[in-house]
Amino acid sequence: MRGNTRIALAALAVGLLAAMGTARAETEITYQLWGSPQEAEAWQKVATAFEAQHPDIKVKVEVNDWDSYWEKIRVLMAGGTPPDVFAMDAPLYPDWQSRGVLLNLQPYIDAEPGILDDIYPITLEAYKTKDGYFGLPRDFQTIVLYYNKDMFDAAGVGYPTADWSYDDFRKAAKQLTKDINGDGSIDQWGFWAEVVDPEPYWGAVVWSYGGDIVDPAAGKTLIGSEKAMQAWHFIADMWLEDKSMPTDEQLRQYGTDGFQAGIAAMGVSGHWSVPDYAPAKFKWAVAPVPKGPAGRVTSVNSAGFVIAKASKHPKEAWEFVKFAFGSTGQAELAKIGLAVPIRKSIAESPAYLDQASAKIDQQLFIDALQYAHLKPVFRGYEEWSAAVGDALNSAWTGTASVDDAIPEAVQNGDDVLAKNR
Amino acid sequence: MIAGLRPMGVEKLWVLLLLGPTLLGLALGALGSIFATFGLSLFRWDLLTPPVWAGLDNYIGLADDRMFLRSLGNTILFSALYVPLTIVCAMTVALLLNRRIHGVGLFRTLYFLPVISSPTAVGLLWTWIFAQDHGVLNGIITSLGGDPVRWLGPRMALYSVVIVNVWGAIGEGMIVFLAGLQAIPREHYEAAHIDGANAMQRLFYITLPAMAPSLFFQSVLSTIHAFQAFDYIYILTRVGNGNSSVPTLVFSIYRNGFRFFRMGDATAQAIVLTAIIFVFTLIYFRIQRRWEVPI
Repeated sequence: MRGNTRIALAALAVGLLAAMGTARAETEITYQLWGSPQEAEAWQKVATAFEAQHPDIKVKVEVNDWDSYWEKIRVLMAGGTPPDVFAMDAPLYPDWQSRGVLLNLQPYIDAEPGILDDIYPITLEAYKTKDGYFGLPRDFQTIVLYYNKDMFDAAGVGYPTADWSYDDFRKAAKQLTKDINGDGSIDQWGFWAEVVDPEPYWGAVVWSYGGDIVDPAAGKTLIGSEKAMQAWHFIADMWLEDKSMPTDEQLRQYGTDGFQAGIAAMGVSGHWSVPDYAPAKFKWAVAPVPKGPAGRVTSVNSAGFVIAKASKHPKEAWEFVKFAFGSTGQAELAKIGLAVPIRKSIAESPAYLDQASAKIDQQLFIDALQYAHLKPVFRGYEEWSAAVGDALNSAWTGTASVDDAIPEAVQNGDDVLAKNR
Repeated sequence: MIAGLRPMGVEKLWVLLLLGPTLLGLALGALGSIFATFGLSLFRWDLLTPPVWAGLDNYIGLADDRMFLRSLGNTILFSALYVPLTIVCAMTVALLLNRRIHGVGLFRTLYFLPVISSPTAVGLLWTWIFAQDHGVLNGIITSLGGDPVRWLGPRMALYSVVIVNVWGAIGEGMIVFLAGLQAIPREHYEAAHIDGANAMQRLFYITLPAMAPSLFFQSVLSTIHAFQAFDYIYILTRVGNGNSSVPTLVFSIYRNGFRFFRMGDATAQAIVLTAIIFVFTLIYFRIQRRWEVPI
């Protein structure tokens, strides 16, 4: 018996050594993204599925919140040790791509004929450059109207329909703004949105009124045009005159998301809000954004993947991107319910359309692509958005009129565009 | 004074040896990063590509950078209110707590509590106090028949954040002042008492002159804190998209360096901030030398 044990131990030791040998031959790549712990879990599943197909590659998934994420990537990049694969937000992509730190994926794409066939074309647009793709979309977000059914029912207002114009929307919002508990101050508003960045709200309104946002190539911020001004007046009238939207100070008393807090009957957001709103105590649904004088327009944005040029394992990193971009990866991601898959065959299948976590009209987010404009994508985007947003904010807090704030926003924006050319 | 004791012989070696690690860390960490910051401020650097020489361009650019000028203005206004208020409040509290009253330990602890509390948690608590409709402050005001105040609105926000920051800084100033107060020899008061000095006279002719060193020390410290103020202000005034309705210098530095790919501009702003603090410190030292009262 003793002899047997010894032999068994020896065999075990040999086995362990062999296992360690193969472990050393494995390549580990890192994938970093911003997001919630739930997203980390979902991505871990994608990574595990990938590892099952590629036993020689291990994927280390790291998730950080939005702010920490971008700081970390910058510092890692400056230190020469960037993650192999990292998540990208389309508007910020030119800032990274133009600085030559991303791997050109074109040769890899060329080696996989048909890889882009099944993808919604507008989601690819942001990542296209004259030298090819330096990143690929991972999922997309179209903005839709969310509404609180309980509040509509209680106020006896009809639910938003596909025929709604912005005037219908404004009228309903006014009817839904109330002092529910009767203490003399308003505690339910018809609508809430953040009006700083073009997404989720003001970009779509400006477009729907026939205006435009920015022409980065010409270095021009276009939100001061006559048509855009009509949109701004619409937003300001609804907010400052009707008072159908909570001010920042009012919102702060309830949280950061007015719709989720249950104080606003309507909100505009992308699919990312679905997991946040799903556990809400009230009943809610989604509808298309209202129509403006120039028709119905919403905005679409896509998050994507990029590979660092300094990655020591570009081939393995590409294998992972290809997998997550492919059907298996996309189907797994569809289940998180945070975004819409960029692959038609997955988005238009039960994997996405029939999500157990939220029984809403998922098709609406796909249909929105037909009337969606791409959220602006250019070098210096974040700085431009902050500069414009600072000026807009002076209008929303009442320190300046819209007619004064918008020219200042244009001036601020143009300064940034000039600095980033 | 204890400073009269000087190390001799082998002791000198020990002093150097024991201070060495700290001094080295200070030289490399603090001085090193100050020099590196100054160096970087002469370059255009986005963290991703190699720095490009810019000479004084980053500094010249600050003159017409609206977002920077706005944050500089906010910071100066904030400091002008914060420093004197902090000194006066901390001194008052220290004077009140420098006597034998019941539960003096409890009071001292209460005043010191904000110093060791998490700024994020405290900031959120103040958000609730300042809240427009359901806030504690407006609750009191309306129950007394007044109109609710928009504490965090455009007109009041700066003053509201000054209140929070002063409140948060009283504890620290109190400790410094209490130490100063307790170092004043009792005989001075006894002598004054015999000479018939009243409470006011004792305060102005004994306490305050004797407190000069603590007052100067605390003024320097408060000024530094004022120009570096960030956490409470950001929590109370943040708006969507990472912006703030009361942007401060430190906020501007952070945004330029880590969000806008402008490390050069950010470091130039940091140098301006350092220069401002340096000038104020120099002024304080000048005044102190003129005022110094030998005890």
